[in-house]
Amino acid sequence: MPAIFTVDPRSGVPLYLQLIEQVKRAIALGSLQPGEQLPTVKALALDLTVNPNTVARVYRELERDGVIDTSPGRGSFVRTDGGAVEARRAVADVAQSAFDLAVREGKSLGLSRAEAHDLMARAIARWYEMETDA
Amino acid sequence: MTAPAISIHGLTKRFGSFTAVDDLTLDVEPGSICGLLGPNGAGKTTTFTCLLGFVRPTAGTIAFAGAPLAPATFQTLSYVPERATLYDEFTIAEHLTIYRRAYKRYDEARARELLAMFDLDPRKRAGKLSKGMRTAVALTLAFSIRPEVLILDEPSSGLDPVHQRQVLDLLIDAAANGAAVLFSSHQIGQVERAADAVAIMKKGKLIVSSVIDDLKTGEKIVEAVFAGPLPDLDALAADPRIIRIERAGSTVRAVTREDSDEVAQRIFALHPKSIRTIDLNLEEIFMNAVSEDRT
Repeated sequence: MPAIFTVDPRSGVPLYLQLIEQVKRAIALGSLQPGEQLPTVKALALDLTVNPNTVARVYRELERDGVIDTSPGRGSFVRTDGGAVEARRAVADVAQSAFDLAVREGKSLGLSRAEAHDLMARAIARWYEMETDA
Repeated sequence: MTAPAISIHGLTKRFGSFTAVDDLTLDVEPGSICGLLGPNGAGKTTTFTCLLGFVRPTAGTIAFAGAPLAPATFQTLSYVPERATLYDEFTIAEHLTIYRRAYKRYDEARARELLAMFDLDPRKRAGKLSKGMRTAVALTLAFSIRPEVLILDEPSSGLDPVHQRQVLDLLIDAAANGAAVLFSSHQIGQVERAADAVAIMKKGKLIVSSVIDDLKTGEKIVEAVFAGPLPDLDALAADPRIIRIERAGSTVRAVTREDSDEVAQRIFALHPKSIRTIDLNLEEIFMNAVSEDRT
């Protein structure tokens, strides 16, 4: 099984949230394909050396979010129906939290709304123009 | 609902006028790993010795899968004390023989696998082993009976980092197969990794008992920096979602129990120059808990 996930248990971010984000990211980036099987709870827990109940919680929440399907005895799979929609939503989730973090950081440093807008615009200009050049 | 694998209710143990364990109530479900943390003298080991019937509790009840401790309980319960108790004149192989005769669930193949994992030579006498190797033998014996309940006091003392990680994997494997695990450790990182639940003891009392991820979700620091003089914080201090408030110069820090976003909004309404929320890891939560009186 490829070790595509890494978690930092010493972080203040709950482990299950770290893992949920990573699975969504993997689906969004296509490293986990629709229909692909996820490791069993036990296998992933042992692979990462984290608690199995924590991994089970991750799978429960991903199922509730419509990202994966779990059937008893068969295992957990990335959903195929509306898979693209879920993947886009997953991308949006991941991106949203990254933007949130950036804006919150700016605000905590005392930036005004206008200054935050300006910095965000500059960042967008830098990264999207780079893409056009290439 | 099935009964918890380990159920401790109102456990109290006094030695003369000293209360080592004070009204402790804690459950560990099958498939769960509970890490027991606490400063030295908090009552962790006394709790274990009460659980195992080595000392008689002053008050309280203890049950394993709903039944009180009985000789048969030990067929499915493994206990690893902080200092492994082995027969110094016996070889490791002879220890396995004792287990083979005493335990119905003893699994020879599993025992051999664990000896190999810990790089142990079965021909060695226990008396010749280092502290870490003694711990490894005790762990091998403990897991060889495929226990349903595991109680471990500092299970990786004396082991190198590689073997410490393997011990965590053993706990995770046991829990994934439905065992209930209760272990104490001074290494908070081990608890943070392997356990889903944490119990923190201080002076005999249980001061925190929670799912670790839920604890991290709730307990955060909201830090605000104010431009002028600090606003009146009395109303804030009375907020039940806040554990305590610290002030340093123009900075206010509120340690939250839950709903840190709402607390942040409330503080934001006091017009700070800046505000941010800081996540706390288990070590920081532990230090917070033991350094103050929390009930």
